[in-house]
Amino acid sequence: MINRRHFLTTVAVGTASAGVLAACGTGSSTSGQTGSADNPVTINYTWWGNDDRAERTRKAIALFESKNPDIKVNGNFTDFAGYWQKRATEAAGGGLPDVMQWDLSYLRDYGQRNQLLDLGTVKINTDAFEKSLLPSGQIKGKTYGIPTSTNAFAVYYDPAKLASLGIAEPDGSWTYKEFNTFLTEVGSKSNGALFGGTDYTGVWWMFNVWLRQNNIEAFTSEGKLGFSKDDLKKWWNLTADLRGTPAIVSEERVTQLAPKSPFGSNVTATEVTWDNFMAGYLGDSGAKELKLVPVPSDDADNLGLFLKPSMLMVASAKTKFKDAAARFIDFMVNDPEVGQIFKTSRGVPASKTQRDGTTFEGTDKIVVDYETSISQYLKDAPEPPIVGFGTLETSFKRIASDLNYGKLDINGATDAWFKEAEDLIKQNA
Amino acid sequence: MTQSPTLSRRSTQSGPAPLRKSKRGGVDARAGYTFLLPWLLGFIALTVGPMISSLYLSFTNYNLFEPPKWIGLDNYITLFQDERFLQSVGVTVGYVVFGTPLKLAAALAVAMLLNSKRRGQGFYRSAFYAPSLIGASVSIAIVWKAMFGDSGPVDQGLSFFGINLGGWVGNPTMTMPMFILLTVWQFGAPMVIFLAGLKQIPNELYEAASMDGAGPVRKFFNITWPMLSPVIFFNLLMETIHAFQIFASAFIISNGEGGPAGSTLFYTLYLYLRGFSDFRMGYASAMAWLLVIVVGIITLIFFKTSKSWVHYSGDSK
Repeated sequence: MINRRHFLTTVAVGTASAGVLAACGTGSSTSGQTGSADNPVTINYTWWGNDDRAERTRKAIALFESKNPDIKVNGNFTDFAGYWQKRATEAAGGGLPDVMQWDLSYLRDYGQRNQLLDLGTVKINTDAFEKSLLPSGQIKGKTYGIPTSTNAFAVYYDPAKLASLGIAEPDGSWTYKEFNTFLTEVGSKSNGALFGGTDYTGVWWMFNVWLRQNNIEAFTSEGKLGFSKDDLKKWWNLTADLRGTPAIVSEERVTQLAPKSPFGSNVTATEVTWDNFMAGYLGDSGAKELKLVPVPSDDADNLGLFLKPSMLMVASAKTKFKDAAARFIDFMVNDPEVGQIFKTSRGVPASKTQRDGTTFEGTDKIVVDYETSISQYLKDAPEPPIVGFGTLETSFKRIASDLNYGKLDINGATDAWFKEAEDLIKQNA
Repeated sequence: MTQSPTLSRRSTQSGPAPLRKSKRGGVDARAGYTFLLPWLLGFIALTVGPMISSLYLSFTNYNLFEPPKWIGLDNYITLFQDERFLQSVGVTVGYVVFGTPLKLAAALAVAMLLNSKRRGQGFYRSAFYAPSLIGASVSIAIVWKAMFGDSGPVDQGLSFFGINLGGWVGNPTMTMPMFILLTVWQFGAPMVIFLAGLKQIPNELYEAASMDGAGPVRKFFNITWPMLSPVIFFNLLMETIHAFQIFASAFIISNGEGGPAGSTLFYTLYLYLRGFSDFRMGYASAMAWLLVIVVGIITLIFFKTSKSWVHYSGDSK
């Protein structure tokens, strides 16, 4: 046989290093410039969402193109988790899409690091917006994002499923203990065919609501954590007795169903999350009707609820088509016909022009009515959270999942999350 | 041009005209490098360049957006206090240690079956090779996820025999067997190499052994194994290095999160998450270099130990 030693060494070493290292280089950056729109220019627009939102967005883009023949919009979407990894890769390579749907969690990461266009420098009409809402898209006086719409936390339930189990519909004035009893009742009456809900303590924003109910700030104005380990332990202890029972869907099932939600897959009777998920849940589950009630609170006068911009429209700092991008953003947030297309699937339209021009019926009316019904309890919209918040939100979910798998106990989970959070805050300081 | 290599080699051996030799050699070298240039440029720009920059980044705090800040060895030190990092090392080592030998055993077994003279062997060879062609693709990972999910074919098949494991995808103890099955199933590439190696073993050896009364087991350990050892060594090395780099299937099956409960948090997946989800590219670069060093050391150990069990036909041993 041939003596292959040299050949082997070269090939082996080459393969070992090339694959691993090539993925970690830097990209170059180019400076942005304003482009003219005499000939049709093409701008890229990207968003996260499901098929339902994709279809609505396609319609909105078609409408925009028919009204603005000088601009073509090239749309692209993924699910929420993959969305941010893609943006990071693009930002590193200097190629963020011209216009993007954005989340409050990531506004600081990109805005503070000069990746997003200061929308104060372009023409976007914000006259029809609540003045209290706009600061959530601003950092140090610069506007990086325009809210498309607002959402609030709520408990979803499927009335048909409750009726089939002979359980009365909740009215939404409940303590955590009462809510837990309700979840347990669903699980035991259905004989395991239907779970009560998902473990609501795994959701960062619900934790945030609970903190507000207890008059604790999530983050201090200096960007430090505003709550203690004991607070987090108390929070994760709320469902300690429910984990592993039919009251809460098992983490195995949650993982299997991902990226679909257990509620959308008809595995649970309730879900605690943002009220604008209505359209997505209806589409996923095929349910005839879903209803919304307020989240539980141990203080009936303080529900801890607030309106958050459900999503924002932002533009890349490096876009070559600032004018086209601004016109598209203005259209998406203000145009009444866009409101008609999206209804409440993005949340309740933030611009009054768009809100008034939209007719809300059926389930959309349920979402609008819900936000009206809680208006007396609403507190100020949160400012953009700290840099790296998106990472903290993800690790909160992951660690709560480890808790449900029994991999960590409550003390271990709390320590793990605090270690990551403190490390991250130190890192970005 | 076809004459020149022979010419220059002859002149090297006898060496009567040093001036002419260097001239010819220069022309040859220049031609050689010219032909090599397209590859060389790509190699420098796309591999060496990024490697050097990632080496630099591994000593910095770099968040993709702001200029990197030099922090010396901090990244390398923090790595060993990071529980998720240690978990990813555990997951990856488990995968390499169990997955690679099983895959090679499957490849060798099938190669030996396909080496015998039988009707339609060409078809079988193609059929067994096919999974490795599509195995690394995104679509297969998706199919795999569906197969091993709740009420998927695997779950239902096992239930038929009274084994109720539920879906494998959501069960932290079953995800590793699932990934090992996926890699074993892709035995095609090492199998083809084994097959080529088997064909090179002179048949006289087996005939002589049969005359001496050796059975199939004896023949395997005394003829096939030593004669095939360079090929086994090559496959072992390549598959080990390859296994350390598992990414795409883990990324897809766990939705890019490494779950459930961190059981599919492979090294490269954690590296990716650190770099592109947490914006800690310096940290990710340090992880990449640590992997290169570790894989390099393992390769070195393989080469050192190979002297005792790998036999080249030209060797005196």
